[in-house]
Amino acid sequence: MITCRQLTKKYGSKAAVDAVDLTLEPGHVYAMMGPNGSGKTTWMKMAAGLVRSTGGEILYNGKPIGVESRRHVAYMSTEPYFYNWMTARDVGKYYQDFFDDFSMEKYEKLLQRMDLDIAAKVRTLSSGMMAKLKIAVTMARDAKVYMLDEPFNGIDLLARDEIRTCILEEAAADKVMVLSSHLVEEMETIADWAVFLKNGRLVEMRDLEQMRSTDHVSMADRYREIYGHTEG
Amino acid sequence: MLKLMKYEFRKTWYTKAIMLVVTAIAQALYMIGLYGERDGALLAGMIFLFFLAVGSILIMGLESVVTLHRDMNTKQSHMLFMTPNTSYGILGAKVLECGISILLAGAFYFALGVLDFTLLFAKMGELNTLWEYVQSFLADFTINGRPLVFDVQTMSLLTFSQLSGWILLIVTAYLAVVISSSLLNGKKLNGAVSFFIFLALEGAAAWLTRAVTSRIASTAVAMTTGGLIYLVIAGVMYYVSALLMDKYLSV
Repeated sequence: MITCRQLTKKYGSKAAVDAVDLTLEPGHVYAMMGPNGSGKTTWMKMAAGLVRSTGGEILYNGKPIGVESRRHVAYMSTEPYFYNWMTARDVGKYYQDFFDDFSMEKYEKLLQRMDLDIAAKVRTLSSGMMAKLKIAVTMARDAKVYMLDEPFNGIDLLARDEIRTCILEEAAADKVMVLSSHLVEEMETIADWAVFLKNGRLVEMRDLEQMRSTDHVSMADRYREIYGHTEG
Repeated sequence: MLKLMKYEFRKTWYTKAIMLVVTAIAQALYMIGLYGERDGALLAGMIFLFFLAVGSILIMGLESVVTLHRDMNTKQSHMLFMTPNTSYGILGAKVLECGISILLAGAFYFALGVLDFTLLFAKMGELNTLWEYVQSFLADFTINGRPLVFDVQTMSLLTFSQLSGWILLIVTAYLAVVISSSLLNGKKLNGAVSFFIFLALEGAAAWLTRAVTSRIASTAVAMTTGGLIYLVIAGVMYYVSALLMDKYLSV
């Protein structure tokens, strides 16, 4: 469903994503792993059509990422991005205006579940509440591809459980889920595939079940093997 | 496109609402001065209204350019660019919302000016002598070498051509902002280079317009043609800006 071939993004002489070849299929939850600066966010932004590649190509259902793919790709950035003047209700209306797959009813239910007030102004939200709002509005879409960049950042354990449940409920045979997080153990409970990136390059892409059964290593073990020397 | 325009308006409505409230206060001052026969209030109302008319249109344009810059250079950019809209639609909504707002504000202040002058002359008939003096005084002024006639038609066309010129200036500023955020993003002297590009484009557009209108004999036709040329060039600038966004902009 999402394919990239020799995908490259350079900022000046530095490659944030360097010649990455990758295919993500529906029915899987992919954990995009790597330390800061490994290229996870840049790759997601290219898949969301926010960042232009400087080399190679990235395709959604065989066509270049663009207006059509944005109809089906739900991307949640790690930083807050809503307009300051908005309330949580305005955020929902905005998504309803632009995405045909958005359900206001589902959004309101998710807000309730996450204990968020729909009348709350986004500029008054704490980082944890903002993280929950971003998740709620993104998951209220019935998208074909969900890309969540650091969905567990800055939120407490209970909210994390809610988010994990919410993600797993949406995972389906016709959907691609891509998550990035530094919380490796947390990701291991959600994902069935892991994509390891290092310095913008794809190190490997592994079926986690197979990795556990054949190599007898967990995702956390493999993470330590790949990045151990980098992170000291 | 309409949905995009709705949100463009929403981003700037607060400033517009403030300008309307201040205009209402200035107009009230003018009316109190006129019918309460308080010369000080009348003069203050007239001066405030004049500066509000010019200031509002300037502020609308500047705010629109600042909003575009913010929409391309902060995380709020995701709100626009993750939606299934083309760069042409996104920028087009900004140009149209700003252009329509400026034209409507121009028409509003022009109509208010006509109304206030009519009320003034109806109230103070003796001012007709002063009016004749103003007319003869204005005859010394020229537009592109032609005498300025102070009547509704000329003033309407002058307002149209000035507003079109202002819209062109704003769209040229849009292009400079887009160049700065796309082609020159991360480059040294980015701001200075895009500012010089803005000055060069604005200068070229003014030169081209003057070259065409100076050959037209009728003042009315020259002003209409000048305004239309400004709008056509603004259209070209818009297209180039959207094309650059489409090909090179990363947010």
